[in-house]
Amino acid sequence: MSKKLQPEHIRQVLDNSLEQIEPPVLSRLRQAREQALARHDAAAARGASGWAARWHFDTPHYKFRYFAAAAVFAAVLFSGMTYWQHVHEATEVDVAILTDELPIEVYVD
Amino acid sequence: MARTGFPGFVLGIALLLQTGLVSAAPLVAWTKLTPAQQEVLRPVAAEWDTLPQQLQKNLLYAAKRYPSLAPEEKQRFNDKLEKWSKLTPEQRKRAREKFQAFSKVPEAEREKVKQMVREQEAKKAEAAAGSAPSAAP
Repeated sequence: MSKKLQPEHIRQVLDNSLEQIEPPVLSRLRQAREQALARHDAAAARGASGWAARWHFDTPHYKFRYFAAAAVFAAVLFSGMTYWQHVHEATEVDVAILTDELPIEVYVD
Repeated sequence: MARTGFPGFVLGIALLLQTGLVSAAPLVAWTKLTPAQQEVLRPVAAEWDTLPQQLQKNLLYAAKRYPSLAPEEKQRFNDKLEKWSKLTPEQRKRAREKFQAFSKVPEAEREKVKQMVREQEAKKAEAAAGSAPSAAP
């Protein structure tokens, strides 16, 4: 147990193990490796395609980010519209006061 | 970092829009107004450049509406404009609130108030005419 494994010894053990693997097992291992490489290539291609890639959100965390961005965008848009509505109303009232039959003093404290 | 790109972009656009909306129409110098705007806003020409930005915006909008007003409305507009521009923002705010509240009063009640004001105005005019120096014999 106290004997330390030397690199040369490890290499020898691994080489021997490989030679002892049966051909059907080797074939399945090769197939699995090829499938893993294919998946990796596809993911790399998707990642390199810029904007399009960013639409592919497949984790709940990422979906939340889009939801939060959309919610903030809607809130900003809503507040902007409310502001303009308020300004528009104020200007309409200003014109109405300026053209009203009653003098301004009636409406001023 | 790359994954924050799109949401960040959306938020950036939203904030830019908001800033643009709120700060649109910067302070306009009197000399930059069109001749038509200057004609309508002549009663406030002297103080135009010192008026608050929001009031300028409101008056520019009013100037746009001016051509569509009836002749008597134009006359009232001209008569009141200077006084209106001299009010404080708080007074204008209160005046708008009172005007809107008064607009909700039934027509018959509003007419009574208007009649009362007309009578007061007539009395004032009469008093002013009575106290004016008499014309040459």
